[in-house]
Amino acid sequence: MQASRARLFKEYKEVQREKVADPDIQLVCDDSNIFKWTALIKGPSETPYEGGVFQLAFSVPEQYPLQPPQVRFLTKIFHPNVHFKTGEICLDILKNAWSPAWTLQSVCRAIIALMAHPEPDSPLNCDSGNLLRSGDVRGFQSMAKMYTRLAAMPKKG
Amino acid sequence: MDSEDDMHDANDVDSYEEDYYSGDAMYSDDDDDAGYEFLDNASDDSDDVSVSRQQKNYTILKEDDIRQRQEDDITRISSVLSISRDSACMLLRRFNWNVSNVHEAWFANEDAVRKAVGMLDTTNIKPPKAGELPCGICFESYTLDSVSTAACGHPFCNTCWAAYISTSINDGPGCLTLRCPIPSCGAAVGVDMVNMLTSDEDKKKYRRYLLRSYIEDNRKTKWCPAPGCDCAIEFDLGSGSYDVTCYCSYSFCWNCTEEAHRPVDCETVSKWIMKNSAESENMNWILANSKPCPKCKRPIEKNQGCMHMTCNPPCKYEFCWLCLGQWSDHGERTGGFYACNRYESAKQEGAYDESERRREMAKNSLERYTHYYERWATNQSSRQKALADLLQMQTVHLAKLSERQCQPETQLKFILEAWLQIVECRRVLKWTYAYGYYLPEQEVAKRQFFEYLQGEAEAGLERLHQCAEKELHTHIDGNASQEEFNNFRTKLAGLTTVTRNYFENLVRALENGLSDVDSHGASSKTSTSKHAAGTSKSKSGKGKGPTKGGGSTRTDDLTGWSCDQCTYMNPKNATSCQICHTSR
Ligand SMILES: [Zn+2]
Ligand SMILES: [Zn+2]
Ligand SMILES: [Zn+2]
Ligand SMILES: [Zn+2]
Ligand SMILES: [Zn+2]
Ligand SMILES: [Zn+2]
Ligand SMILES: [Zn+2]
Repeated sequence: MQASRARLFKEYKEVQREKVADPDIQLVCDDSNIFKWTALIKGPSETPYEGGVFQLAFSVPEQYPLQPPQVRFLTKIFHPNVHFKTGEICLDILKNAWSPAWTLQSVCRAIIALMAHPEPDSPLNCDSGNLLRSGDVRGFQSMAKMYTRLAAMPKKG
Repeated sequence: MDSEDDMHDANDVDSYEEDYYSGDAMYSDDDDDAGYEFLDNASDDSDDVSVSRQQKNYTILKEDDIRQRQEDDITRISSVLSISRDSACMLLRRFNWNVSNVHEAWFANEDAVRKAVGMLDTTNIKPPKAGELPCGICFESYTLDSVSTAACGHPFCNTCWAAYISTSINDGPGCLTLRCPIPSCGAAVGVDMVNMLTSDEDKKKYRRYLLRSYIEDNRKTKWCPAPGCDCAIEFDLGSGSYDVTCYCSYSFCWNCTEEAHRPVDCETVSKWIMKNSAESENMNWILANSKPCPKCKRPIEKNQGCMHMTCNPPCKYEFCWLCLGQWSDHGERTGGFYACNRYESAKQEGAYDESERRREMAKNSLERYTHYYERWATNQSSRQKALADLLQMQTVHLAKLSERQCQPETQLKFILEAWLQIVECRRVLKWTYAYGYYLPEQEVAKRQFFEYLQGEAEAGLERLHQCAEKELHTHIDGNASQEEFNNFRTKLAGLTTVTRNYFENLVRALENGLSDVDSHGASSKTSTSKHAAGTSKSKSGKGKGPTKGGGSTRTDDLTGWSCDQCTYMNPKNATSCQICHTSR
């Protein structure tokens, strides 16, 4: 508990310093609980998610960093490896390939990489996985773009 | 699990036998079938089956033996490849503890092998400079003495290392392939670091996984499946029968690790076990230990191993537990056919409509299964009972009998041998019922022959079981004379031998798929012509020399005659009883 708190505090300070260095990721620690974080990540360019801003919720276990944090999308996203309803993410480093050398920041980077390179063979969203697997890249992209526009674009008011 | 790896190719067995039988192994005279994989003739000049049967195609390893072998293998690789023991251990584990595969892969492509197991080339890695180093897990800075690194040089504090390794050890055997925490690094974290950095409890667990890996990842070794047993068995692949017996006395099939099941093959056993679990709800009643007496209808409990039941006084009706038929109809007294092993589906005449017929068929198939299952299960529990009796004999009765008969216990060994034989025969007989269940109904001649053999086996075993169970007690508890006891000795020892021979032949005949029936029909069951025809397995001139007494064959045992005096099943060609010498 003490070790995970100390480590999260280090990450917190690191995030404050790096804010400008990585403009695509904005990590925020909950005001009252250092084990709860949220992140805003920018959809990578040249993908259907470009222009969108996606919110992630982190729940960090007491065994962190020996155990991985739980992460899910709060923003709706049409992606083969993200559960459409719950936002749950299928990513090996969040499961058996976790290493304590990863940080919340590097997890965000890995998720951005996953958005750019879906793994249709381990789908959590079957519809989108099937579109990609059947080679209907266009169909997939238009669906993904539509949801990006609906859910991840700042409303122009 | 890869079934092809597990179920070894029958061709291996054949080719092995070719080699084996081209050697100068001798054959005892009563063994007429060189093609069987019963390697009971491997000892040089012994005709004694009980001695030569101990020739094993497997080695039992105790925990110390396993550790010793593992250490030896590691030492060998470490000295041949000039690498640390730590690296040798990782290499061996990567190649499933196969020393020659390690050599081969290493000399074929050392770089690839190094990469695959995480053995880094350390020449370009500089040792950390003096001063403070940041730990890659907790991000604190530490002096050099509180920091450790794998071969890669990535620094982590000792506390974080311990937690990292411990987490992995508690996650399971994956800890044996642990790597540096830096995701892109891949340097192996081996037994040296585990020993240096973790708690005693974690070290113990790690060593346990390493030991298990040595047995479980090796193609030639398996753990004994008996609960509480720590032994493993190393098996000479391709050397015939898979039945092995551990030091703990548990016998099992090395191939499928079910209990020993000769003469039935592994596939049939797994089908049968699945069938049993699918039908278990329907079959519970069979396992109940009492049945109503067929005469007086009072429940009578089966508390003895043999199938001969005698109802409580005043009824005293004697009947067969299996078929509930009158006991006097069974074999010995009538010299008749022991038929309660046979399943005959009651065929009803008359017209059925389609649904009635289907219902009838479903009922019949369950009835058919029930028949075989009940006999399978009954022999199973008879065997358990016989095992318990054997133990009782060893611990209590033998000493008592020794006192009463004024004979040293060593001279009473024939009794234990009889009980061991009963235990083994119950096992074989049990599996013949699974065999019978899967024997195709349309192979009528085969079925008839099979049922005949099985019936004889059952009758012979009943005689032995009854003699060892009931007659023995008149000598333990009653006051039979010395002479009577000596007669009993001759009888029991004789029955043991006869029954053993019969069952060994039965096992071979069934393992051979009753192939004699194909060529000769059920009525002439000779196996000698098989050799004249020359099968691929028996090389001419090696298969069998001239037989003792001019043609004692296996078949003679099977179609022998039962002595009127003492009920022995004598070989056909014997003109007088081999036990009591009464002429035929
Ligand atoms: Zn540390
Ligand atoms: Zn490293
Ligand atoms: Zn054992
Ligand atoms: Zn088997
Ligand atoms: Zn009765
Ligand atoms: Zn019967
Ligand atoms: Zn006789």
